[in-house]
Amino acid sequence: MQTLLNGAAAGGVYALVALGYTLVFSVLGVINFAQGALFSLGGYLTFLLMGGRISANGGLPGWGLPLALPFAPALLLAAMGAALASLLVERLAFAPLRQRNAEPLLSLITSLGAGLVLVNLLQLLMGAEGYAFPAGTLTGLPAAISLGGARIRSVQVLLLVICAAAVLLLTLWLERSRGGRALRAVAEDPTTARLLGIDSDAMVRLAFLLSGALAGLGGGLVGVSVSLPGPYFGIGYGLKGLAVLVLGGLGSVPGAIAGGLLMGLAEALVPADASGWRDALAFAILFAVLLLRPSGLLGRRLVEKV
Amino acid sequence: MERHAAERHAPVSRWGCTNVIDNGLLVQMLIGALLGVSVYLPLAAGQLSLATPAFYAVGGTLAALLSTRWAALGAGADGSFPLPSFLLELLLAGALAGLLALLVGRLVLRLQGIYLAIATIALVEIVRVAILNLPFTGGAIGIFAIPQPFATASGYLVPALALLALAGWGCQRLEGMPLGRAMAAIRDDELAARCMGIDTTATRLSAFVLSAVLAGSTGALAAHFLNTWNARQGSFDASITTLAFVILGGSRSWLGPVVGGLLLTALPELLRPVGDVRLVLFGLVILLGPVFFPRGLITPGLLERIGGRRQEAPR
Amino acid sequence: MSNSSARPTPLVGHPTALLEVQELSCRFGGLLALDRVSFSVQPGEIFGVIGPNGAGKTTLFNLISGVTPASGGAVCWRGEAITTLPPDRRNRLGVARTFQNLRLFEGLTVLENLLVALQRQPRSTALAGLLNSPRHRRAETQRLEKAWQLLEELELDRLAERQAGTLAYGDRRRLEIARALATGPALLLLDEPAAGLNPAEKEGLAALIRGLRSRHQLTLLVIEHHVPLLMRVCDRMAVLDFGVRIALGTPEQVRRDPNVIEAYLGGGA
Repeated sequence: MQTLLNGAAAGGVYALVALGYTLVFSVLGVINFAQGALFSLGGYLTFLLMGGRISANGGLPGWGLPLALPFAPALLLAAMGAALASLLVERLAFAPLRQRNAEPLLSLITSLGAGLVLVNLLQLLMGAEGYAFPAGTLTGLPAAISLGGARIRSVQVLLLVICAAAVLLLTLWLERSRGGRALRAVAEDPTTARLLGIDSDAMVRLAFLLSGALAGLGGGLVGVSVSLPGPYFGIGYGLKGLAVLVLGGLGSVPGAIAGGLLMGLAEALVPADASGWRDALAFAILFAVLLLRPSGLLGRRLVEKV
Repeated sequence: MERHAAERHAPVSRWGCTNVIDNGLLVQMLIGALLGVSVYLPLAAGQLSLATPAFYAVGGTLAALLSTRWAALGAGADGSFPLPSFLLELLLAGALAGLLALLVGRLVLRLQGIYLAIATIALVEIVRVAILNLPFTGGAIGIFAIPQPFATASGYLVPALALLALAGWGCQRLEGMPLGRAMAAIRDDELAARCMGIDTTATRLSAFVLSAVLAGSTGALAAHFLNTWNARQGSFDASITTLAFVILGGSRSWLGPVVGGLLLTALPELLRPVGDVRLVLFGLVILLGPVFFPRGLITPGLLERIGGRRQEAPR
Repeated sequence: MSNSSARPTPLVGHPTALLEVQELSCRFGGLLALDRVSFSVQPGEIFGVIGPNGAGKTTLFNLISGVTPASGGAVCWRGEAITTLPPDRRNRLGVARTFQNLRLFEGLTVLENLLVALQRQPRSTALAGLLNSPRHRRAETQRLEKAWQLLEELELDRLAERQAGTLAYGDRRRLEIARALATGPALLLLDEPAAGLNPAEKEGLAALIRGLRSRHQLTLLVIEHHVPLLMRVCDRMAVLDFGVRIALGTPEQVRRDPNVIEAYLGGGA
């Protein structure tokens, strides 16, 4: 029971990251490699907003924000912070290339450059070591609850619930709202969308904003449920998210969700004595899927026009 | 990977700071250039493959294992290593990486564009986790005290330069023969190339294997040079950094990745005086480089001007 | 099945025809782009394919050259089914094509475009190339000679060092033809060779096509919008309309065919 829950919780986080990639990919057709760095940022921002102090090895030892918010507002603010940073990434790494009609390949490099800058700024400020959220961060929540005879960590339940809520809200927004439909229209056909009076640049910014918020949310959640093992920790989640993205099919929202859960569960089922290999599992699955079905589980096939 | 080597080889001058470019850094720069050429080769055939660090890691691990475990190669108790054994290792590492590429390439080269890029990132991660977890590769610490064929860092300059010269010569030769032309044609228009009778699968596979052989041999050289070898040598960051060598240097000629590899490997070391900000600055270079030089530093136009070749007058 | 190749050949064509298209169909989703089209092309013929826009002409070429898989039917080459072969294998058997929307190797020079296509004429191994062996040098010399011959034949020689992407439209069309010829085909598929040419160039095209046939012992299959041109140059032709072959015969027969008159005039075209 705990295993399955762990898997589902991790899967929820993977789905958040993959959805972030999906949003950007569907409007621009490129991968934003800064996603992992934004994930780290979300974790560290949550930590600071909850009154965490910088350790002796950081750039400002002992410094902390003059406030200590409860978890929920801190997480939300951190997600907003990551969203703003994501907007900045778009401005610096993507917008100049689009204006010059440069090869899309270049944005792989520039977005990774933006991610490197971000992660290393974090390292400069916070130091390279890990941080743990103090015990009792989640006041009012018992450490574990029992469910059907099994005791499970309540923070995992919380994580799963928040991930599910975020995914559900995003899906509903994409399906039902005006802004969501406009975003999907741009993803479908930018030229036609522009003819219909949709500001495609605004939609691109919106996609980055949302994907940054998702990454920030994921980073905060993982930070609170596990720890912050160092500024680079988001990169690993970013890579797993990439595997999930392809597993589900590039640009497919339900694919990203299904792929994330599948990947989380598969990892949770790796026996403990082979846990070292767990990190390879995602990529082994990805490899197999790519070979059997190159467009992903739920992706569309692309046909070249002659 | 840069840190280890620099700390071991950088001589400290009497002023208490390190010499900016010493022979150890030069070797690292040459290794960077070699990896740049390795990423360039598939790209020259229109394939965005980020698998170079995987083959680099495989080659380095093989060399580290052979030289520390296989007594017949003649590693001395004082940490010395016979030169012929070193050369043999370069060959074996290239061959193993090439063989692996042949097997993997048959599968992944069916993929196009970003799918291929992501599949090769997956390969890099699988190799990294495997090296971290296999019972004989030393886990997170890795393999250390790798014997040295040369007494000083400068000694590595010769094989590194020779390998780069060989790679450059090969790339230059390719341009004047059917394989290289087929690669260029696929890069321009794969479908048209197929309709002109080019076996695009075989051509792409050749470029992929050549790239892997070069990365494998480079890994073997680097393993001895760095003295220790672990799973961190081939990671996702390395994939993108090596791609940056090509993109910033220029992807239309093999000189581009050479220049890009030399410069971008030197940069973090040159920035060492500014302390921890250097990695931020390195990120900024990678972020802004493609914006200001979308075609890279070395472009065909530049080469023509340098070479004094008469440029065709526009009508 | 009379042939002994490992691949089963479900349909075996007529042995004297160079190319035979049997009941060829192609479906894109719900759209039937080609509907059981059949005809055969004899060696040495200039065979035209005409039809209104969207009749399936380019689709037909894509199926014959192997770019698009067939949904049904067969393509036979000298009596053997090649329906499942990839484009490069078909080219090596002797089928070369040009593209209506021009797909030159634009980053390469005019000469290099031809050298790419000449890569197996003659063959040389990669090792010989790397070592620059005498044999490789001889092969390169032969390739260069053939390339220059073709450049002169198609009046592209003074443009040899120019990047293909910078050529004028008419020059690009001729380079496409030269590049296809460089692969040493027995059958050349020309997809709208007159499109975008100026009147003088169009005038020269008929002579060029006839000249190509006699100088290279070619068989030609030509798609063309410009019907009068095809009428003058073709021995036989097929007419497609909405994916169906509605007529087949000499230009004279086709001109009088009521179905053709219906398709071209009845449709308001």
